[in-house]
Order: sequence, then structure tokens, then C-alpha cells
Amino acid sequence: MTTSDLLILCAAGMLVSAYLMVGQKALFTTIRLYALQSLLLGIVAATIAVSESRHELFVTAAITVVLKAMLIPWFLMRIIDKIGIHREIEPFLSVPASLLVCLGLTVVGYRVSTGFPEGARGVSHHLIGVALSMLLVGLFLMVTRKKAITQILALLTVENAVFLVAIGVTPGMPLVVELGIAFDVIVAVLLLGILVQRIVDRFESMDVSRLSKLKG
Amino acid sequence: MAPMIPDALRAFSLAVLQAAGLLALAPLLKTAIKKMKARLQNRQGPPLLQGYYDLAKLLRKEPVRSETASWVFVAGPRVYFGAAVAATTLVPVLVAAAPLEGAGGILLLVGTLALGRFALATAALDTGSAFGGMGASRDMTIAALAEPALMLGLFASALAAGSLNLGSLVRSVLQHGITFHPSDLLAFAGLFIIVIAETGRIPVDNPATHLELTMIHEAMVLEYAGPDLALVEWASAVKELLYLTLLVDLFMPVGMATSARPVAIVVALLAWAGKVFLLAIAVTITESTNAKLRLFRVPELVSISLGLAFLALAIRFL
Repeated sequence: MTTSDLLILCAAGMLVSAYLMVGQKALFTTIRLYALQSLLLGIVAATIAVSESRHELFVTAAITVVLKAMLIPWFLMRIIDKIGIHREIEPFLSVPASLLVCLGLTVVGYRVSTGFPEGARGVSHHLIGVALSMLLVGLFLMVTRKKAITQILALLTVENAVFLVAIGVTPGMPLVVELGIAFDVIVAVLLLGILVQRIVDRFESMDVSRLSKLKG
Repeated sequence: MAPMIPDALRAFSLAVLQAAGLLALAPLLKTAIKKMKARLQNRQGPPLLQGYYDLAKLLRKEPVRSETASWVFVAGPRVYFGAAVAATTLVPVLVAAAPLEGAGGILLLVGTLALGRFALATAALDTGSAFGGMGASRDMTIAALAEPALMLGLFASALAAGSLNLGSLVRSVLQHGITFHPSDLLAFAGLFIIVIAETGRIPVDNPATHLELTMIHEAMVLEYAGPDLALVEWASAVKELLYLTLLVDLFMPVGMATSARPVAIVVALLAWAGKVFLLAIAVTITESTNAKLRLFRVPELVSISLGLAFLALAIRFL
């Protein structure tokens, strides 16, 4: 198995996990899928670090695995345990319908990726294709789900997609920027976690569509 | 490569040999999954030969059939069994060629399995009992959804090799070496869900229950007893082994023999057994960590696999 095989395998795994997230209603499983996705992203970063001897990517890989594959999932699971809401009951769109839409989005993402000069062929074609598809699927998930936790996970999926391109295709970001992004993600998840608890306190539900009742 | 399509007699004897081998090993696989599942639940589980004992016991009994049953009821298990045995000759197991691959490829395989299912569903309707009809209707509902996904998943692999023939598909992978494409993983994930659905494993059906409201396959064959039941159970076990072998063939054919040297055959046998065992572990874990879905949520699960399989096919073109 060569390096590019491993990269493609991990990227495809990330796409499958994003896809399964769409088909999943149990929040715990969705969080585990996100953790798996982040773990695969970490493997991608470590693989590139070894194969192209870009040692700063080891830091990225470590941050990704510790923060996104362990800490954030643990934090989100704790929130779910605390508020006791375990399932996405009724999304705006039924599961088969959202899967169909995501199919279309993936095809679009893959098709668009061929427009980039780097995306013409080979590994970077698949990396850009997978990342664009995940980006679109994440955005779609964000607008069609009602539960605040699912929306957070969708946002994090989008962030994973952006990271995948940044690591796999570009020459890389400065470490300062990467640390900044990592810090942003922590703060965002913490804030959103607190927000979710506030929403649940007020409405006894995570359903963000109820927030429209706040309008005077 | 040497001509892989030997003369008719040799192909026929190879087919008989392969069918006999898979028939002999199928009950073992079924019991092994049962045993592993039991161990995960801190139970002892049945002895590994239990599958054979059950079949021997059922085959010794006399068949009990309803007075209203016609020949369709008698023919059902026999056609089902025959279809499963015929399907074993269309799949490469140890050597990178299916014994009867001249007869047809993927389409024939899927068609043969569908014929068996049709015969069993018709037979279940024959006695006019409520359970048979309900089971047949449920089984056909799931099959109607699973079959397109199975076809799409198989086509995604066939597209890479440029052939619908399973033998030449495997040979082309072995020749060119494995080249990873994201479509492989998508197709594998889709087909794995289909295998779970088609073999009646837990998120879809529970093989260990006879509860009225939940059973699907078991409801369909509820009226069979003795040798008839033995044929159905045996054929189901063979089908399960066949599906796992199919996954091995399509996605990890490494180690398969390309010549008839004894050493290569032994290596291939070990590799095949190991890979099927790994997949069996995956099936066991899926069964143990998931709860059975409500019948009306099964289409959701199958639509996931349909989506994955379609995507696997679409990505090949992009």
C-alpha cells in the first residue's frame, strides 16, 4: 500500500462518515462518526508529514487527534448526557430525501474539483473532491437539521473539510494560524455547548426552530 | 496468462468440487458467528459443530406438510437450495477463476439468487397461512430495495475492471495490482450493508427470534419442517458464505491462486479463510452493537447503501 493509497482510503473514509452522519438520527452515533472522521484527518496529516517530511504537520496531526477526535466528542457527549436528548426526531427533510440531495451535492463537489489545476488527476483530485463534497454535505446538514448539537457537528464537518484541503493540497498553513484555528474551534464548541444548554433550559428542547418564537 | 477457461469436463468437476466445499463449510460459518456473538454477550455459545448437528437432525426427520400445500410448497426449498448451489459455481473462491464463469457473470449471479428467493416467497404464499404471506411480503420488500443497491455496488467494481465477469474482474485486479480509488471504499460500505440485509442479520432482521411482529425470513419459512427446513437453512448459510466470499473477491483478492500449484492453492485457502473470518467478525460486531430497526426504518438503511453504491459508480466517471 503506497502513501497515495492510504491518503485516498482515509479521504474516502471521511466522505463515507459524513454520508453516514446524514443517514443517522442517534446523536451519540453521529458524534462517534465525527470522531472517526477527525481521526482519519489526523492520519492524513501524519501520512503527509512522513511522506513529504513536513514535520510541522505532526503538530497538526496531534492537535487534530487530541482535540477533534477525543476532546470535542467527549464534551459533546457530556452535554447530551446532561440534557438527556438522544435523538434527532424530525429533521426538516426525511432521511432518504436528504441522502438523495447529498448524492447530488457530492457529484457537484467532485465535478467542480476537476476545475482546479491541482485537481486534474491523482491524489489531489480525490482530496479536493472529497473536501468539497464534505463541505457541501456539512452546509446541507446545517440547514436541514433542527437539533443544535447536529448543527454544531455539521459546522465541525465543514471545518474538517477545509482542513483536509489545507493539509493535502496547499503547501500548508503557518503554525500560528493552525493554532489559532484550533483555539477558535475549542472556543466555538464551548460557546455553542453553553448556548445549547441555555436553549434547552428555556425551551426544554434542542429544536432551534423554536427560537423564532423569541421574535416580539 | 494461460487459458483460464478449461474444457467442459474439467470445469464441471471443478464446479462440483467448489460447490461441495462451500456447502460443507457454510454451517461452520453460521455457527462461528453465533458463537462469537455469544462470547461478546458473556455466554458460552453453541459448540462449533452445532450447525452440522442441527442439519443432521432435521434431515433425519420426516417432512410434515400442510394438507392444503401443493407442489409449489414442496418445490420452494429445493429451488432455493439449487439456486444457492448453482450460485457457488459462479464465484471465484481459491483460484482466480470461477468454475462455470463461461456461463455468465454478475448478472447471472444476482439473477440466480433472485430466482431462489422468488421460489421461497411463492412457496410461503402457497399454504395460505398468514405468517407465510406476511414474511414473503416483507422479504420481497427488502429484496426489492436491496437488489438495485447490490447491482450498483457490483457495477462500480466491474467498471474498474471493464468486465461483468467475476473471474476476469478478479484477474484484472490481481494483474494490475490494487489501485485504490475512493469508489472502492464507498462500494464496500454499500455492499456490506446489503450483505447484512440480504442475510437477515440484526439491524434488518433477527435470525435468532421467532417473535411474530419482528421476524422476516423466519416468518417466511415458518411452515417448513424436517428435510425441507434443513434445505432452507443450509441454503441460507451457503448464501451468507457466498456473499462474504463475493466481498473478498471484489475488494481484497490478494493471495488468490493464479495457477494450480498445490502451494498456491494452500496459500489461497488460508488467505480466503482468514479474510472471510475477518468479515465474519465485522458482521458479528455489527450484530452485537446495533439494535434491530423497525421494519419501516429498514428502507432508510437500505437507501444509505443505495446512495453509497450510486456514489461509488458516479465517482468513477468524475
